[in-house]
Amino acid sequence: MEVSKKGIKKILAIRGMGQVLTVTVGLIMLCIVFGILNPAFFSGRNIGNLLRQIAPILLIGIGQSYVLITGNIDLSIGSVVGMSCMISATLMTKGVNPWAAVLITLIASLVVGFINGHLVATCQLPPFIATLGTMTIARGIAQIVNGNYNTDSIGEGAKRFRDFFYYGKTLGVYNTILIAIVIWLIFNFLLSKTRTGRHIYAIGSNVEAAKLSGVSIVGTTVKVYLVSAFCSFLVGIITCATAGMGTMDAGNSYEMYAVAASVIGGVSTLGGQGILLGTVIGASIWGVLQNGLQFAGAPVAIRNIVIGIIVVVSVLLDVVVRTGKFKKKSK
Amino acid sequence: MKKKVISMILCMAMTGAMLAGCGSNNGDSGNTAATQVPEATEAARETEAAKETEAIAEDTDNAGESYTVFLITMDQMDQYWKNIDNGCLEAVAELGNIDYKWSAPDVKDDAKQIECINNAVAGGADAILLAANGPDAVTVALEEATAAGVKIIYVDSAANYPGEATFTTDNKAAGKTAGETMLEELESKGITSGNIGIVNVNAATASCVAREEGFREAFEGTDFEIMETQYGEGDAAKSKDIASAYITQGVVGIFGANEGSSVGAGNAIQESGDDIVGVGFDTSDTISELIKGGYILATMAQNPDIMGKEGIFTAEKVLKGEALTEIDVDTGVSVLMAGDF
Repeated sequence: MEVSKKGIKKILAIRGMGQVLTVTVGLIMLCIVFGILNPAFFSGRNIGNLLRQIAPILLIGIGQSYVLITGNIDLSIGSVVGMSCMISATLMTKGVNPWAAVLITLIASLVVGFINGHLVATCQLPPFIATLGTMTIARGIAQIVNGNYNTDSIGEGAKRFRDFFYYGKTLGVYNTILIAIVIWLIFNFLLSKTRTGRHIYAIGSNVEAAKLSGVSIVGTTVKVYLVSAFCSFLVGIITCATAGMGTMDAGNSYEMYAVAASVIGGVSTLGGQGILLGTVIGASIWGVLQNGLQFAGAPVAIRNIVIGIIVVVSVLLDVVVRTGKFKKKSK
Repeated sequence: MKKKVISMILCMAMTGAMLAGCGSNNGDSGNTAATQVPEATEAARETEAAKETEAIAEDTDNAGESYTVFLITMDQMDQYWKNIDNGCLEAVAELGNIDYKWSAPDVKDDAKQIECINNAVAGGADAILLAANGPDAVTVALEEATAAGVKIIYVDSAANYPGEATFTTDNKAAGKTAGETMLEELESKGITSGNIGIVNVNAATASCVAREEGFREAFEGTDFEIMETQYGEGDAAKSKDIASAYITQGVVGIFGANEGSSVGAGNAIQESGDDIVGVGFDTSDTISELIKGGYILATMAQNPDIMGKEGIFTAEKVLKGEALTEIDVDTGVSVLMAGDF
């Protein structure tokens, strides 16, 4: 008994756990409502599909959360998704081995992350401007690789590639979901248990203090942008596997989905705050709304309005909860 | 009065610049012209006669009757637009007196298409073949173009502004054909009721909305129920998610209203392994693969090359001053099934 009580206390003591619990309650409520509106929402098949829809949002959410926690932003996520999708698909239609294509795409995507990091940390550009630039450039690359056309079908030769990233199952679970879980476990460990993770929080809380304590600002910033680019690369590959072709506007406005998933889950856009568990819940809320409102037969316009409201309310709720707590303490 | 004189002088200067004929410079002066409303346009009309005589003089200096024609599409992404371009190029090669350019925004966007139109006018277009992004957004730009003496011919989709001629797929009729194709297949399988899902692009693309209307019409009076339309922005991955959700809800058929939507629907049907009738719109390599695999029953193939070819021929006729026999042409669709590939 003692131990479990201590355990709960320990969990509650983690910074940012408050909002995560609040939005988790919200997520459960949403699921219940959608389940009542249409029982098919809880069918095994839909749950598989739903989790597979959440996976890409979670992945880009992880990337964006890393960047947001350092107090920066990455607007190039959506374009890197498009670039990754187009580069890999184009190479495959040209007969390149799918795995070689994936490797080349990975390198190209990481270059974007590397440039982002150095523009922000070494050249001291405002992250909004720097990644706005790379966002446009990456989209341009996505358009140029196949001469401004969507690619042809990546064909039967890429069947194993498509199964690995999207259509296949391992132990009864879609691979996309497993990929997202593995990536989450790795990056959650990096952020919460390693020195690099602590440096990331330190930069977001107070850059000057971090610098004086000997944290390498450039090194750490480049690392978070590399993480973000890596996550975007994965989503691009998954998109390519899903469609079986490359579409140039794949990933359009995903950077904002990523911000939404992070922010709903309690990551602060001002930096220094948030945990990746929150991003899981944020991404889930996003996915559940997309999927659930279709099951409820709601027109798309309504869906957009509801999603917008939830983004604002979840952050507002956090502010209210926190300021309320502060008042009690000061009294 | 003073203003009028100044704008008149400005216009003269601009006309001069246009005839000098450097692309990028023209673009700049064109933008100034657009902001100089309304005095400038008035003045422009006054100087138009002078301009035309000058232009003709210039033409005879060069190489007989030669015309500049621009093709402006919604974007340059789909193979579909390239096929219109191919049709145009074919006609241009046949005629030999057309200076032809294809321009388009990088993404479907009203404001960007307006810029393209303005730039084409500034770039000395005699005629524009336009695939209008939306029915109303570009009309002001078209009014200005007409005022500058440019002839407008619509290909693929028209705006709510009178053009010289229109070459389009009657999207509603084509959508109805799609619906009837699906209905026929369902009936032949002995299915007479059930839900049907529609994956569309968005609510703003008039051509796709018309397809949906026609599709729904085909099912009027039957026991089938068409579900709330979902929009996937033409993105094959998003459309696949939507189609999968339809399948989970238990549909007997899915209609994809454009290329990306059809690919998404086909992939979802393939994955589910269920017996669902998929009908698509437009053609691409991926769609033909899905049809050959038996995951999509049929797709509605438009004839973009005919639109482009006829568009250029008509532009030449109009510019020569010849009368047109037909001004509103449905270039039709062909229903492509597994046997057609």
